[in-house]
Amino acid sequence: MTLHSGRGFACINYPIGMNLGGDPAQALVHSTPDGKFMVTLSAIDLGQGMKSVTRQIAAEALGVPIDDVYVDTADSDTGPHDMGSFASRGTHRVGNAVIRAASEARAHMMEAAAEELEVSPADLDTDGAGNIHVKGAPTRRITVAETAIAAQFKQGRTLSGRGIFLIEPSGVDPDTGEMSPVTCFAHAALIIDLTVDDETGEVEVTKINSAYEVGRALNSRLVEQQLIGGAWMGVSHALYETTEPYYPDRREGPLDFNAYLMPGPGEIVPHDIAILERPAPDAPFGGKGPGEMCANPVLPAIANAVYNAVGVRIDALPITPEKILRGILAQGGARPQGQRG
Amino acid sequence: MPKIPVRFTLNEAEVGLFVEPQSNLLEALRRGAGDLSPKYGCGQGTCGACTVLIDGEPHLSCLTLAEAAEGRRIETTAGLAQGSSLHALQTAFIEGFAAQCGYCTPGMLMAAKALLDRNPRPSREEVIDAISGNLCRCTGYEPIVDAILAATEGRAA
Amino acid sequence: MIEIERLDDVARAPAPGPDVRVLAGGTLVMRALNYGGHGIGRILRLTDPALREIHSEGGGVRIGAAATMADVLAAPDLAALHPAAQVVGGPAIRNMATVGGNLFAPHPYGDFAMALLAANAQVHWADGRAEPIEAMLGARGRSAGIVAAVTVPRLQHSEFRFRKVSRTKPKGVSLMSIAAHLPRAGGRLGDVRIGFGAMGDRPLRATGAEQALSGRSLDPAAIDAACAACLDGLAPADDPLASEWYRRQVAPIHLRRLLEEVR
Repeated sequence: MTLHSGRGFACINYPIGMNLGGDPAQALVHSTPDGKFMVTLSAIDLGQGMKSVTRQIAAEALGVPIDDVYVDTADSDTGPHDMGSFASRGTHRVGNAVIRAASEARAHMMEAAAEELEVSPADLDTDGAGNIHVKGAPTRRITVAETAIAAQFKQGRTLSGRGIFLIEPSGVDPDTGEMSPVTCFAHAALIIDLTVDDETGEVEVTKINSAYEVGRALNSRLVEQQLIGGAWMGVSHALYETTEPYYPDRREGPLDFNAYLMPGPGEIVPHDIAILERPAPDAPFGGKGPGEMCANPVLPAIANAVYNAVGVRIDALPITPEKILRGILAQGGARPQGQRG
Repeated sequence: MPKIPVRFTLNEAEVGLFVEPQSNLLEALRRGAGDLSPKYGCGQGTCGACTVLIDGEPHLSCLTLAEAAEGRRIETTAGLAQGSSLHALQTAFIEGFAAQCGYCTPGMLMAAKALLDRNPRPSREEVIDAISGNLCRCTGYEPIVDAILAATEGRAA
Repeated sequence: MIEIERLDDVARAPAPGPDVRVLAGGTLVMRALNYGGHGIGRILRLTDPALREIHSEGGGVRIGAAATMADVLAAPDLAALHPAAQVVGGPAIRNMATVGGNLFAPHPYGDFAMALLAANAQVHWADGRAEPIEAMLGARGRSAGIVAAVTVPRLQHSEFRFRKVSRTKPKGVSLMSIAAHLPRAGGRLGDVRIGFGAMGDRPLRATGAEQALSGRSLDPAAIDAACAACLDGLAPADDPLASEWYRRQVAPIHLRRLLEEVR
């Protein structure tokens, strides 16, 4: 038996969101009587951090402490319309809508505070700690809570805002097929190191090195978590997962998670990630969101690494030991492609 | 068919229920006792989301006959925190970003608790074996393994 | 549900069969019940603690049918079988899955039963009958009765080898599993027994490989001969994990790796 080492590379130019027939996202922000802010969305948090990131964005745009912001994503009956959590669009589309809604609510808040302090709203600023003060005179101030109470019980004013962010539909040029499907792209490059057993076709992924350009990592721990978990999913798609192991024949489909294969905790791959920040002009605070592209480049990089290791080019997923072994036997043995560096 | 009476201890509280014949413990915990912390994943014993401790050892509640819980001591994630004070494992999972969607988390926590109760200083390999019956779709397992190790004696954050 | 508290009372229970199933660890029967339990009429539940006992008996060890994989792992007398018990699921499954249940576990399960086959275990039925495990497995599905225990000869750990090939680690069902009993005397192998799991609808013996090795020294020529004959007696099929073709291709390779580890 020989274990052949292989290295594969892939890079990705990943569109944030889809064109759809126009892609709108909406957000509503309102304050409670005690100066907390509620952000109402229909974008769903599947665990990818929608709630955390929109909460950060709303707090930043409102100029209030993050502890005073609540995000409700639970109910598409009571929340404003959103296209959904898919296509890596959440941070970009919903984040922009939240900025607009929070900015409108902030304007109402500043007007209410200005009335209490008897100054012009333009002369006021927030300190991010729950206070609104006159620029250059931090002692002339009112708390956000006092402002909210005054607005609602004295002034008869709501501290609320509506936000919508729309990517307009892009028509297709009938002559050239040209269109503008998206407005911003994220990027990644990824290197896979693996070994292939030339007697069994078994693959062991030994190392992942990656660089992801995500605009701005609005929550760096969440970004890192998503990239690590996403790479696992990429390995899983590349080497294991299928509902039709004999495709196009549909027989022998797995009926449980013992037969529908996914790599286990004994196959954790060391993964070095470099997060590159190049804030996008039309993204909320520059953040594009890693989303699906945390899994995507892993697949071609593994296919390339298998080719590099034994000279077998697999073009159907998953890349099973059987496919690799058939390829090795068909070409009369492993044909390592060599490595530089 | 008539229902069957069953009594057990759930997180140190006495519980008495009537369960359907041939029904499983997971259903008894969720529908009968109102403890929604163990999750229904597959009902086949292949995902670990329903893991609970029975007399201190991990079991799959979906494959445990409800009436076989008679007189046994059941522990679930709902009983991990003492008042407002979280269990070291819960703290480590939060600080280590060891959950995304969270569906596997209760099973992971109970599998890890069973290990640490018996072996307070496990090796990385022992941690990996302890959660080997629990599927996670989000994290890639590494943050979970790291969090469990961080929760072990002397390393608690 | 029929609950039987004492094994002696088994005689008054209906014979197990398609519509009467014995509930032991629950990993097979509860799973079927959770999905509607089609065809399961009545459940026999045996709660006699004697059924879980593991103790020395004569020249071997008697394992109660309700002993779990965790019980096996806690028994020093069964050290040779620990590698096989260790790979039956994760810790929760090992606390539940029983030795008796494993005898009836369909493909691709039954790795522990396969190891018992290689160990030449005897199966003891509750009615007092006893038979070699190979006969019991061969008649599986056509015979009725309740297994009370198995007895295994005392095995030298160094003479018993187990290997499980899974796609995923550390837990994964068998693409195949192999157990080999390789007793040695005076530099030569005695009567070799080799079992394969997931290479048929039940654990099977690789009779060709056994004959190639028995009575010979474990040298490269004998290993070559064993690997060349390794598929005799096996009947692999396609399943979601691997095709019959792949299983036939790699069975000799995994047997070779197991044998070369011993040398």
